[in-house]
Amino acid sequence: MQAVSDEQLIQWVAGGDSSCLGTLFERHHRALFKYCLQMTRRDALSEDLVQDIFLKILRKAASFRGDGSFKAWMFNIARNETFDYLRKTQRQGALSRVDESFEEQLVDSRSAEQAAAGKQNVQLLQQALAEMPAAVREVIWLGRFEFQNYEELGQALGCKRDAARVRMHRAMKLLNETFATLNGAPIDV
Amino acid sequence: MSDKNNTGVPFTAADASEQQLWDALEDYPQASPSAHLRRSFFQELDRTSSLRWHDRLRNFLGFSGNLGWLTATVCLALGLTVGQLQDRVPAGDSQSLAALQQQVTILNRSLILDRLENASASKRLRGVFDASSIAEYDVEVARALLTRATEDSVSSVRSAAIDALGPQLREPEVGGELMASLEAAESPLVQLALVDLVLRHGSTAQLQRLIQLADLGRLHEDLVQYVESSVQGEKI
Repeated sequence: MQAVSDEQLIQWVAGGDSSCLGTLFERHHRALFKYCLQMTRRDALSEDLVQDIFLKILRKAASFRGDGSFKAWMFNIARNETFDYLRKTQRQGALSRVDESFEEQLVDSRSAEQAAAGKQNVQLLQQALAEMPAAVREVIWLGRFEFQNYEELGQALGCKRDAARVRMHRAMKLLNETFATLNGAPIDV
Repeated sequence: MSDKNNTGVPFTAADASEQQLWDALEDYPQASPSAHLRRSFFQELDRTSSLRWHDRLRNFLGFSGNLGWLTATVCLALGLTVGQLQDRVPAGDSQSLAALQQQVTILNRSLILDRLENASASKRLRGVFDASSIAEYDVEVARALLTRATEDSVSSVRSAAIDALGPQLREPEVGGELMASLEAAESPLVQLALVDLVLRHGSTAQLQRLIQLADLGRLHEDLVQYVESSVQGEKI
């Protein structure tokens, strides 16, 4: 439980206390970095995007109405920034390959035994996710790792709760099919 | 992930393998940002936070920075001119209006130059957008814009300034500095803006230099591909 909520902090930022943005940065910059990295596959670029996203939050703080969570609002800004970049580069077919440094960045924190057992699955999962369209990848990422209910996920994605649920199920179905194609069979944990 | 124990949204799939895949995602390895991100963010935030309320007011009104005195003088002259115009007979209207128009132009220019020097990144960004309309005809504004394009600490301000300098890319001074910063740029966002600029407005020599940099691997990996596909598209 945090002493001061994100929603309170962003209201103070809107009121002119930009130092509160530092607290929000500390709480959320890792999550935003992971999201941007998952979407762009480039670590230096993801760091640039995170900084730009927080500067945008500073500029748009007054537009936070408080009818949803700060986190959902923040990710909504993040996806607009990220997709702007992706649209610009993917128009020319860039970013289609996975950055090797991105692979090196991933830290496997499990025990050696567990890591050995699940290594192939994890590698295939990475490969399958990388092959997903960005719009599908983000639903899986945000739904699996960032949000705990469809209401908030929908706010982040800019859609209704039920639409978020449908998008999640479609995305998982597609991931499952891609994984099975790469693996030659469905996952066996 | 904001919380380590975040388990995601409730998900139940009819297909068992889909459910297993969902469970397996829990082991997905995670990356961490470098210390550079925190450092550069807090540097920028410090610059913004150091502005006190009266500084903010002065910034808002355009009275801050090296040319703040000019803004104030022009505002005064503008006020006096408007006052005089109200008292004058119609015969002198056209001359007075021309003078008034000139003063408004000067005021606008000084506001733009002030904004380009502002401590706040959003104000500088606004300055860049305003400057783009007059940079082609105003050497001092173009020079200030070039400084933003090559030296600004915020990548989005640099990218916007680079974009605004498009029409001047073929001028020796602007072209030379931008081409030099293309090689030196660490940020992929900034490099993308420079590459875009050369592809859209560059001379043959600048395009050749861009291709050479791509061949030598001095651009970010994804931009090399971007340059290659753009150049191929042009040839087709």
